[in-house]
Amino acid sequence: MPGFVIDAQSIEKSFGTLKAVDGVSLQVKPGECFGILGPNGAGKTTTIKMLHGAVESDAGSLRVLGRDVATQSRLIRAQMGIVSQEDTLDRDLTVYENLWVYAGFFSISKKASLTRIEYLLDFMQLREKWDSQIKTLSGGMKRRLHIARALIHEPKFLILDEPTTGLDPQARHLVWQRLRELKAQGLTILLTTHYMEEAAQMCDRIGIMDGGKFLVEGPPQTLVQEKVGDEVYELKGGASIEFLDSLQDLSVTTEIVADILYLYSRNGMGIMEHLISRGRKDFLRRPATLEDLFLKLTGRELRD
Amino acid sequence: MMLFPQAPSHRAFRVWVRHLVYYRSFYLAEWAGNLGEHILWLVAFGYGLGRLVPNLDGISYAQFIGPGLMVSVAMWNATYESTYGAYSRMRIQNVYESMLMAPLTVGDIVLGDLLWCASRALIGSTLMLVVLSLFGLVGSLWAVAILPILFIEAVMFAALGLIATSLAHSFSFFNFYFSAIVMPMFFFAGTLFPIKGLPIWVERLSEALPLTHAVRISRGLFIYGHVENFIWHFSFLLGFTFLFLTVACVLVSRRMVE
Repeated sequence: MPGFVIDAQSIEKSFGTLKAVDGVSLQVKPGECFGILGPNGAGKTTTIKMLHGAVESDAGSLRVLGRDVATQSRLIRAQMGIVSQEDTLDRDLTVYENLWVYAGFFSISKKASLTRIEYLLDFMQLREKWDSQIKTLSGGMKRRLHIARALIHEPKFLILDEPTTGLDPQARHLVWQRLRELKAQGLTILLTTHYMEEAAQMCDRIGIMDGGKFLVEGPPQTLVQEKVGDEVYELKGGASIEFLDSLQDLSVTTEIVADILYLYSRNGMGIMEHLISRGRKDFLRRPATLEDLFLKLTGRELRD
Repeated sequence: MMLFPQAPSHRAFRVWVRHLVYYRSFYLAEWAGNLGEHILWLVAFGYGLGRLVPNLDGISYAQFIGPGLMVSVAMWNATYESTYGAYSRMRIQNVYESMLMAPLTVGDIVLGDLLWCASRALIGSTLMLVVLSLFGLVGSLWAVAILPILFIEAVMFAALGLIATSLAHSFSFFNFYFSAIVMPMFFFAGTLFPIKGLPIWVERLSEALPLTHAVRISRGLFIYGHVENFIWHFSFLLGFTFLFLTVACVLVSRRMVE
């Protein structure tokens, strides 16, 4: 096994005048879980599609599982599972047929695939849907079937593009739980998501992407600590200039969004006392999160 | 492998299997429909219209169109499956996309699709053969030899259909494809009426159509048990099959890999 599952060096991709991926470098080790976060249009999906050869890179070098994607993507795909963002289940086939036919694409024998299908349908809690048509499945079931299909050949590496988008909370939790189990089994995982909390829990490292490149990359807790701080105080109802001035002695950074004043603190000492002494008791005190970092780096304006 | 990362391989068979699995769910209805349609064509044209047509070179009109219908059934089947069917798999249902996430190449997918289109066409033609023999319109046992040739013909028309599919941006493009390519092919290949005696430019056009050569082989086998200039007609079919196959692979690649 070579050193890295993904080894991307300054890869680029343009569509016409739009530079979708603009010099991304990324290295992922075996057994690691890496999360790509970013607003819509940041280049996440294009990056993912480049990893399995569905989008060809214009520049840079890209090796996955030790092989060059440009020339050996077929061999790479033989060892890699892919869960795309859009529904690519075969609507002409039943649940079982979907998995059985797909196992054939990996040249898995009929007998071996049967055992594997039974295991995966149990694992994804789809056993009773064995014979169902795809159109009768809920969104959560479809996504679970997608994941089961991507695991049919016991891949070394799993890619998931927004695996929980559009699912209800129950379905979402089940998917994240299964992904954590897979990670615990040693599977290397790369995923994109808009769910910061889950990403922070699950990923060893995350990268925040915007404008086709990574803005930061590292372990989520470390990044939050370094770039945002430990704690956030949210004060509703705005603040006077005089009040803002009074904060200058404290080691906080401030941000005003609409009618909320955010105080980002690094050590938290004395802030609460200061607020109370100023008669501001209407604040919310919470730990700094990945979402704070995300918004700080990518801004708050809408992106679709 | 390095030079042609999208080249086809034995894995095309797995793509063919996918289509077969789907086919299992509706084939009986299709067979019944095919049989009915074949009989209708034969009765309406062969015997209905045929009453007005004098004997052609000593054979009845029904005998004349039988072999022509055999090869055109293959063309129509292959064309429908490779246009409406393939477009739906490629653009609507993302079936191709899911295959490209497995270790298949565009070449595998194209070849698997073409073999499937040809298989379906072969089934349709075989049903036609059954109908023709029930009506006593098969003059030679050599007629059975048309089946492998129909398979090649069907691969050729499926490849041509797939070229149209890779250029199409919606289903309505196929209206154009059918009226500009498939219908003229059907009418001017000598399927329903002899081309000899028509204006010289029609004769020349007809000679350039691949279907014409399939019709010649078919009629020879069905009525006389031998084909004049077989090598020439067969090479013509084979040449166009390879040409269309190559172009289809290139165009589908361009459509699938950005």
